[in-house]
Amino acid sequence: MLLSIEPDGPVPIYQQIRDRIVEAIARGRQPAGSALPAIRQLAVDLGVNFHTVNKGYDLLRQEGLLRLNRKSGAVVRRDAGSGPPDPGWVQDWTGRLRTLLAEAAAQGMPATDIVRECQAAIADFAFPAAVAEAWNRSQGPP
Amino acid sequence: MSAGALAAAFTVPVVGALTCSAPVVTRPTLQFGVRVPRERAGAPVIRRERRAYYWRTAAVGVCCTVVAVAVQGYWPSWLIRIILLPELAADLGCFWVARRKIAAVKNADNWFAGLRQTIVTDTSWRSDPPRFPVRWLIPALAVMAATAAVGALRYPGLPAHIVTGSGHRVSKSAVSVLVVAGQLYVTALWSGLMLIIYRSRPDIEAADPAASTLRYRRFLAAFTRALLIMAALADASLLLVALRDWQVYRLSGIGRALPVLPFAAGMLLLAAVAARAGQGGSRLNGNVRGLALATGVDRDDDRLWKAGLLYVNRDDPAVMVGSRFGVGWTFNLGNPVAWLIIAGIVAALAGMAAIGAAAGI
Repeated sequence: MLLSIEPDGPVPIYQQIRDRIVEAIARGRQPAGSALPAIRQLAVDLGVNFHTVNKGYDLLRQEGLLRLNRKSGAVVRRDAGSGPPDPGWVQDWTGRLRTLLAEAAAQGMPATDIVRECQAAIADFAFPAAVAEAWNRSQGPP
Repeated sequence: MSAGALAAAFTVPVVGALTCSAPVVTRPTLQFGVRVPRERAGAPVIRRERRAYYWRTAAVGVCCTVVAVAVQGYWPSWLIRIILLPELAADLGCFWVARRKIAAVKNADNWFAGLRQTIVTDTSWRSDPPRFPVRWLIPALAVMAATAAVGALRYPGLPAHIVTGSGHRVSKSAVSVLVVAGQLYVTALWSGLMLIIYRSRPDIEAADPAASTLRYRRFLAAFTRALLIMAALADASLLLVALRDWQVYRLSGIGRALPVLPFAAGMLLLAAVAARAGQGGSRLNGNVRGLALATGVDRDDDRLWKAGLLYVNRDDPAVMVGSRFGVGWTFNLGNPVAWLIIAGIVAALAGMAAIGAAAGI
């Protein structure tokens, strides 16, 4: 997995690390059970402080996406094929999604463009075959 | 002309050639220690300063070589080696002049404005790390074993004091200890540093991360093998010195320079690998277009490099990073572990020098 961050960008580095790993999991590049570099190793590879990576990994752990322990290091815990998420998490995510979509609408982005962006993002994700098939059916013939 | 003086005089043009050719093997996005976007690598100021650097360093190298050759027979070998100091200082001056001019234009024209500056890493570097080629240590270990075996056979029959190649009369134990310690030092130092480098981060270009990771893997493998061969050849040079001092062979005239030859061959091999591969494999083929898209340009990290050559970053846990000029690696002087390693290297060298001085070498 290629992990890229913008150290001088507006988003904090730990958040960027968290975001890139979430994207890699969604795209199937880091399936459940796969190992991520140890915190110290990733800090060396990115040339950032150890605590920055630790913070990013800790976010993923709190979200239930990562398992951290001394023996096996950092291991991906969930992916697109791990079954439905916790209902509480869905509620929280729906709230954040609404805000995100509202931002686009508030900026004057047409609804068709918003939907197209959403479809493009979803097409990039690695859903299990059955889920992907159902999604393709719902989109109708190309 | 003594062998030592000949070797010292030979070093002057070699150092001149290496510093003169350093920009050729450096990454195009690093010009005299200044980070530049790839599309600016051919900027007029860079082309002009590179040309000027070649001419200036070539002139310095020629002048110093002429002096080193002219004083042969008049100056002792240690004094000829002193010529290296003004040569290196002048080359450093040429580097700084070029660096200052390029940095001035870069900052004035704001070359990085509007570009996405990124740091990229490939996590497969950790999940599938390159293996240190342990087998390539065998030649160096074999030479060390041969030295120990010959020493064990010759030592009892030697007089208490022997005359070294440089004409000093010293105790046989000091010479023997120094040879074995020198071999241990060279082998342990170079293999130890390479082990640290294997755990360090690869030089990945943000514009072409997948391909540059592959190129770096090939570069690291080739460079490590060449370095371990060079360690074996350096050990062989020390073995030849020991054999001479242990009175196994005796050569006169220019033949006395024989011990220098294996080390020179090793240097030549390493220089050839460095010239072929370039810094971090930047001169190697290995495009894997389509494997990964460009994510941006390398981060403008000039402020972390003092004088364009010394890396000081307290936030970076790396002990060693790829060097900014020429081919190789350098210490992160913002990391206390790096200072401990430097202190260990210097202390071991000082210890051997102290033994040599005490023995009168």
